[in-house]
Amino acid sequence: MPHFDTLNCDSMAWDGTATEPEDAALEQRRELDKFLAAVERRAFRIAQVALRDVDDALDVVQESMLKLVRKYAAKPSAEWRPLFYRILENGIRDLQRRRSIRKRFMVWLPGPKDDPQHEFEDPLENAADPAADAPVRLMQSQAIERLDASLRALPARQRQAFTLRNLEGLDVAETALAMGCSQGSVKTHYSRAVHHLRAQLGEAW
Amino acid sequence: MDDHSATPLEERSRRLFDESIAAVDMSVRSRLTRARHAALEAVPRRSARVFGMPFWKVAAGATAAAVLAVALWFTLSAGPQAVGANDSRPSFEDLGLVASSDQGSGDAMEMMQNDVDFYAWVAAKAAQPGPGHAG
Repeated sequence: MPHFDTLNCDSMAWDGTATEPEDAALEQRRELDKFLAAVERRAFRIAQVALRDVDDALDVVQESMLKLVRKYAAKPSAEWRPLFYRILENGIRDLQRRRSIRKRFMVWLPGPKDDPQHEFEDPLENAADPAADAPVRLMQSQAIERLDASLRALPARQRQAFTLRNLEGLDVAETALAMGCSQGSVKTHYSRAVHHLRAQLGEAW
Repeated sequence: MDDHSATPLEERSRRLFDESIAAVDMSVRSRLTRARHAALEAVPRRSARVFGMPFWKVAAGATAAAVLAVALWFTLSAGPQAVGANDSRPSFEDLGLVASSDQGSGDAMEMMQNDVDFYAWVAAKAAQPGPGHAG
């Protein structure tokens, strides 16, 4: 007659904690949250510089976060950064393409001036931010605007290389993965970007 | 940017970019947070596992076992009708009757005892001399 105390019931015991797969899922979700929280504002700024529109930039960032989570959540977290920036850059490029196509067809359609809904604009929207009156902040804001404009003026591949390498701090291999090109191409695009920026911003930079 | 020393342009542009990130207004931050939470809701859920097997496999196995058990129960409980009227093989029901009447009951034992007594009486009668014998 077997005794119950001789049975090994360790695997069936409920110790009040979550099971292993649940723990792994929770940990993965926590890591994703941490990663996205760290990059979301930087991604927004990159998209804003490229698209010059807050709503479009937010849309692209949101789409990029969704795509990363849906497709690459199971990948090692070390790979998320280049993958995320690749998705982001693809999203920016797609939106720019859609815009250029829309522009071509918009020439036959009535413009905003003919639209009665756009006759009256809210004057507060165009009012200056009172907090920006301080000279230091003004200078800083002007410098940021100048940098944004210079980055925007770069060819897309050069802007990507400079943004990812210098502003985001990705190494050459990560930048190559994010841009979908060779490491040699990254170096070429980056060096041309620095050359162009120096020409635009002046030696004082 | 770890494989070469940064130029002033690289340093300044990086610093300005970081400052611009810190200056992102609250409404944008709030929308980004909401977007992040919405994205996290889309994390593919791992299927539940029981003893290392996916839950759907365990459920499918349990369902198949239940269907088999019900089918066997119906087949056995239907008796000879289920296997055909002309089938001469004894059913479990017949075996039960035989077991209960010939082996288990007191009547069967009594009948067997009567038979033994009868055959003993016949043998004794045959051994005795007949009425016509002289002697």
